[in-house]
Amino acid sequence: MKTDNVRREREQRPAGRGIRQSMSGLHIWAGLLMGWILYVMYLTGTVSYFKDELSQWMRPELAHQAELPDPALVAQRVADELATIAPGSPQWSMRLPDARTNSVYAFWRLAPGEAGAASGRRSFAEAAFDPATGGKVTARETLGGDFFYRFHFQFHYMPVLWGRWIAGAAAMFMLVAIVSGVITHKKIFIDFFTFRGGKGQRSWFDAHNALSVFGLPFHAMITYTGLVTLMALYMPWGERTAITTQAERQQLTAELNAFIQPGKPSGQAVPLASVADMVRQAQERWGQDAVGRVTATNSGDSTARVAVARGEAGRVSMSPQYMLFDGPTGRLLETREGVGAAAETRGVLYALHLGRFSDAVTRWLYFLVSLMGTAMVGTGLVMWTVKRRQKLADPERPHIGFRIVERLNIASIAGLSVAMTAFLWGNRLLPAGLADRGAWEIHLFFAVWALALAHAVLRPAKTAWIEQLWAATALLALLPVLNAVTTDRPLWHSVAEADWVFAGMDLMCLSLAALHAVLALRTARHRPKPRAVPTKGRGGVIGGALEEGRS
Amino acid sequence: MMHLLSFALCLAAFAALALATERQQHDLFGGPLSPAATRLLRVAGTGVMLLALGVLLDWQGWGLGLVMFSGHTSLAAGVVFCAAIGLAGARRRGKSAAISPASRRV
Repeated sequence: MKTDNVRREREQRPAGRGIRQSMSGLHIWAGLLMGWILYVMYLTGTVSYFKDELSQWMRPELAHQAELPDPALVAQRVADELATIAPGSPQWSMRLPDARTNSVYAFWRLAPGEAGAASGRRSFAEAAFDPATGGKVTARETLGGDFFYRFHFQFHYMPVLWGRWIAGAAAMFMLVAIVSGVITHKKIFIDFFTFRGGKGQRSWFDAHNALSVFGLPFHAMITYTGLVTLMALYMPWGERTAITTQAERQQLTAELNAFIQPGKPSGQAVPLASVADMVRQAQERWGQDAVGRVTATNSGDSTARVAVARGEAGRVSMSPQYMLFDGPTGRLLETREGVGAAAETRGVLYALHLGRFSDAVTRWLYFLVSLMGTAMVGTGLVMWTVKRRQKLADPERPHIGFRIVERLNIASIAGLSVAMTAFLWGNRLLPAGLADRGAWEIHLFFAVWALALAHAVLRPAKTAWIEQLWAATALLALLPVLNAVTTDRPLWHSVAEADWVFAGMDLMCLSLAALHAVLALRTARHRPKPRAVPTKGRGGVIGGALEEGRS
Repeated sequence: MMHLLSFALCLAAFAALALATERQQHDLFGGPLSPAATRLLRVAGTGVMLLALGVLLDWQGWGLGLVMFSGHTSLAAGVVFCAAIGLAGARRRGKSAAISPASRRV
């Protein structure tokens, strides 16, 4: 009799329910285990879409660039300067200024035997140059927006490779969470616009769904392409098997980027021909502002080569396009404008992740949808505790697993806002002469974050949420004030000068402060509903997840 | 300007698609619309969204066009979603106020 019942139940069960349950479990645990790392990667990655603007804000000594300087003249000035400060360098490369940067970032390989050049290893030096004079710029020492950018895929205080492996593992978990989430959510189109407000966990559930579904193309793309950016690290075997000789390796490098590699120098000193002329030829081919980078090898030697590479704006591909010139004569040797199909696939996926081709509006779209992704991970993490709180045997003294998740949520969500803003405060407040100043900005970020974690552990959970959200609100709201006091570029001045990098930063801080204030107020007003009496059957909770379609 | 046009089209498209769902019709109109009206909204929504895609592809080509379309649709869906929550909330409040002003929560 009993077996009959079971069989009947099985037959009546709609097809696919089994897989949805298991996918729901997978979604919850894949999302939770790496959730905190994913939240951090998402948020720091999101702000990295404005990394150049952040870097400008963090170097207030460099004046606002009202007009874009002539790239050809700038390239010549910096090339002349590099010939003086880095003579005999086997390779140097500069990124020309564009609408988003007001300095020229260049790096160069140290000549063999030069102080600082480790034997047998490539050693590099780097500096920012003033486009107007070609001289090194003197600004406070800071990593600028590059800190968040690097942190989002390789973290800090650990070898770079470890960080990248952790980021890769987290991205794989994210991919699993996305796919299993889509399978679990069976009514994507019917429930597309559903929001059941004021209903505790169902409101969280609907908000999480909306954030996930609206940005789904982005979330799937950014996770997958994130893995592609580091695919040579995660999946090296194909490359190791196929590429064995030095020539093949050079060919591979040429397919992937425009950093031409130096050959053996002849030792015969010949000055470099006019770099400005080379840049002008590239401008004629690709457009006035389309030159991105100038790389030279063995400059000052008779074997010198110069590659003028096309910038990334306006083309959804990171594949290299460059014109190669003979250094001493300035003769055009080769124009490279295409790569193989496999390399181009990688180039497009890579470009999609970085979004450097974007105009201002598209960049904002990237930022906003990425912020939705951050909120998706955040709501997912909070939902884990919201769902389980009502089922706790003793809500006053939850079990240890619940407490760990709850406290980590506070520190990684509210605490990260506090720490990231503290990093910007550090940029304005740390003395200019401090040794390793750039590193101390980063130490400050981690110190504040650690304090946030300690605070989250020591205070009652709700109080900790509210206090940290208010702390973030205060720090964000006062940052424009601090900027006005410590620099000569306050908001009213930036608006008058049409300096949208500084004005935008101030306004962004104020809007984010408002967002955190709303979150703090809502958390403070929240009154948990009286414990629901567990019911059997309808509206049940399966694997911790509210089963959809049963509500 | 083209961004604005495409975004406005996406907004209109999602508004139509949202109104074609049963829950929104219930929340905003107090009951379901006729099946013919629902179908019309669905077709119009899809059509207008394709038009937005066409505008972007014509302007920027496949690569950038698709990226921008993805951004516009994500954001427009979010805006329509928030608007629907706001409208439904306002309607509920108006209703409860009409029934018994004293029972309004302060």
